[in-house]
Amino acid sequence: MKRYPAIKIKDGKRYFYRFTMNQRIQHIILAWSVVTLVLTGMPLKFSNSAWAPYLYALFGGIKAAPIVHITTGVILLILFVYHIGYLAYVIYKKQILPLKQKEGLSLMKVLIILAKQPLVPNLKDAFDIRDLMKYLFFLTNKRPDGDNFTWKEKFDYWAPFWGMIIIGLSGLIIWNKELATHIVPGWFLNFSLIAHSDEALLAALFLFIWHWYNVHFSISVFPMGTVFLTGYMSEELMAEEHYEHYVKVMKEAGLEHEILPPHGAHAHESSEGGHSA
Amino acid sequence: MKNLFYKIYMLGFMALTVFFIYIIWEVTFAHIIEEYYGRERALEIGQIVEQKKHEATKTSFEKIILESDEKIKHYLGYKILEERRIKGHFHHIGFQIGPDKRSYCVDCHGDMPHDHIKELRAFLNMHAFFVGCETCHVKLEGAQKTRVYKWYDRTTGELVESPVKGSAPGAYKAKIIPFERVDGKLQRIDSEDRMAFSREYREKEKSLSQAQKSRAKKLIHKIVSKQPAICEDCHQKEASLLPLADLGYPKERIDSIMSTEVVGMIKNYTKFYMPRMLHPGEELPKVEEKKAVKSEI
Amino acid sequence: MKVSLPYLKSYLLLFLSIPFLIFSSPGSASAADIGNCLLCHKYPGMSRVDEEGKFRLFFINESIFNNGVHAKVKCEGCHTDITEIPHKPAKKVDCLVECHIVEPSSEKKFSHKSVETDLGQSVHGKIDSAGKSKKYANDFPECKDCHDEPLYRPLSFFKKVRPGISEASLGRCRVCHKKDEFIYRFYNHVTTRLHKSRNPINIAEVCARCHNDSQLVERHGLSTKAVFSYGETFHGKAARFLDERIPDCLDCHVNKGESAHQMLSHKNTQASTNDMNRGKICSNIDCHPNASPKLATYNVHAEFNLKQSPAQYFFTVFFIVLTGGTLLPLMGIILLDLIRRFFPNAVIKRRK
Repeated sequence: MKRYPAIKIKDGKRYFYRFTMNQRIQHIILAWSVVTLVLTGMPLKFSNSAWAPYLYALFGGIKAAPIVHITTGVILLILFVYHIGYLAYVIYKKQILPLKQKEGLSLMKVLIILAKQPLVPNLKDAFDIRDLMKYLFFLTNKRPDGDNFTWKEKFDYWAPFWGMIIIGLSGLIIWNKELATHIVPGWFLNFSLIAHSDEALLAALFLFIWHWYNVHFSISVFPMGTVFLTGYMSEELMAEEHYEHYVKVMKEAGLEHEILPPHGAHAHESSEGGHSA
Repeated sequence: MKNLFYKIYMLGFMALTVFFIYIIWEVTFAHIIEEYYGRERALEIGQIVEQKKHEATKTSFEKIILESDEKIKHYLGYKILEERRIKGHFHHIGFQIGPDKRSYCVDCHGDMPHDHIKELRAFLNMHAFFVGCETCHVKLEGAQKTRVYKWYDRTTGELVESPVKGSAPGAYKAKIIPFERVDGKLQRIDSEDRMAFSREYREKEKSLSQAQKSRAKKLIHKIVSKQPAICEDCHQKEASLLPLADLGYPKERIDSIMSTEVVGMIKNYTKFYMPRMLHPGEELPKVEEKKAVKSEI
Repeated sequence: MKVSLPYLKSYLLLFLSIPFLIFSSPGSASAADIGNCLLCHKYPGMSRVDEEGKFRLFFINESIFNNGVHAKVKCEGCHTDITEIPHKPAKKVDCLVECHIVEPSSEKKFSHKSVETDLGQSVHGKIDSAGKSKKYANDFPECKDCHDEPLYRPLSFFKKVRPGISEASLGRCRVCHKKDEFIYRFYNHVTTRLHKSRNPINIAEVCARCHNDSQLVERHGLSTKAVFSYGETFHGKAARFLDERIPDCLDCHVNKGESAHQMLSHKNTQASTNDMNRGKICSNIDCHPNASPKLATYNVHAEFNLKQSPAQYFFTVFFIVLTGGTLLPLMGIILLDLIRRFFPNAVIKRRK
């Protein structure tokens, strides 16, 4: 853990540790495979468009692109299975096992642990969305104080999670249609195809517009967010998006007196562009 | 500076977001609406299409072959044959030539202008495909006569090098145009002045009175001779009307054009049909106004 | 990704070379133009408008014609009423005419006559089983509605299977056969016949002329715009990407060993598409050999259409609503976020 302190100081600026190396590698594989899958899948979904044959040709056309698609899909599914295992392992080792040793287990306790995982949506997210709306409609200039993971990040996590199940299962069925139809009827393929392609479109648009806007294109991070590579987030961004968590981490590090005010992140804007209002 | 850049960036991204909203609408809800109306109006649309088909019956080579949307690609494996499709046409066409955008005559007379003499019209249209109308229908006399003919590009109208070598016979991207001598200078017979006049006439045609119209038509057709050049004017060994060698025809092509086969066939045709060809208007009643225009040639 | 590289190259080449390939030809067969018809008919402009205002083109593209299956047939073989030059306007060609080509196995004159019988008994015949003229008989196809001049699609098998002629194979032919024109034609004929004589997308286009016509579909009580719904399946999409291996309309709708002219209605128990026989189509040895017969219950021609396939309609609508319902609000938030950041200090109620 010494290699990754919770707060790292570089060039006089504070950076906050957010993602472990393991998580970052998982994310890179996920990102690479999703991009490849979208690029090899969308030309089929929109095979009538003018761009489709050119994009498809880049992946070897109809002879090779499906193989690329299936191979990448399998890699993504393996990653998914690994992720579930990883998650179970981490939760078991870090939370359930200590609890078991300390006070013994009950189903209720395990459920409570699961429900309190940082990525599980909770009431605070609902309040944050309400506060964000107030902020966006100019009713206040206080942004919601995000916790360690904001509702946006939870959305970013659970949307692909659900997508992975739908797309993965339907993809497996379409790929192995000969085998699958020994179990399910043929018309199941019709539904698998619809689910596979429509859910994929949702996922692709969601990731490439919403997710990328939040992590790369929003002016707080533009031109590129680096947390997915370094694992560390800058102090300004931390204060803007995860204020509650930021305050907590700062206090834990004994830096109470150096905590930025909630709108410190907007300082550069309010000083220069304030008159535009 | 940075602030200005951010403002521009945000404005750009706002536009992009609106575009995304449009795209998402198109790939999602628009489908449900489309499907609903598709069911309601499938037949109605079909009827409109049918109606349009009937309206678009104006026949011209340009519309049907050169600019037709109904293209088909035959995937033969070793090559792709792309061509226009004519409904019910069995043989392949397989050439790609742009329409004649320059011609002085085509706008009114169409690109298959010869239709009076049943037995000859296809031949004449075949020639009209690469020989400008003025070549046969204008006979220059005296000082005007130049015996100079050149090729012009069908699409751009510019003078070009001879396309004969390297092309299939008659499938040229250019047409022959005669030159006249005006004040001692060589000039294309479809000079800018003439082109401008006929273009102006086309634009104003509807607002002109009958008398004005016929005056204008007379002016436009002033250069046209009463009797056109006939087959034998060119298809003969001695004193051919067209200087074929100057026009870039290689020797074997000239020989073929002058061959006994061609000339003999022309003789055959002349015997039966030529008298009528020389007096076209006479045997056919002038019905439509369009035909009346032609008879003035 | 290693797999894709060679294909990438060949596909790029294919796209780049389309305009240049048009006039190239696979063999140097020469036409049987004994009557010297091409003297005039080689000119593209040979055309006129006929009495009904219909456009007529009399141009014959020699290089294309010579790569068609009829290259050896004389013009007069089909245009039988033309006996002298100059000729009068020719009559319509009767495709069933006995032509001057001799069928080698029977040594009888060749004719397409049997096609007429087959077509008459098929789902596309104009007359029903009771001998009465079917409703809208004019909608049913005639030769030229589906066929234009058939062109050779030769294959080479010498080292690998690829489109085109193998010079190496021709060398073997030349050992015994001396006439190159014969060798090319024979090679072209046999290798063309060893696979589909048209690319799947070309087949689909032919069927689409009628089966995508919503009026005709309605008139004849058909359940789908067949080529449209085919185009929505993987098969149809792959055909659009020029996959030769993919099944086209005929691969499923024609019984193996029969010709497209013998196609039957799916209601006919002899038809390949009949519920009793469908299983055999998919599990065909060339397609999905290990598939269970249940695979054939896949609904190839399902459309996004409430009337035709309600279950799929609602399933799709669910995903559409999910997609639009999720993304459009999120897009709204992005837009508002941008506007909010554009005016960072404009607030109605200031925070105390």
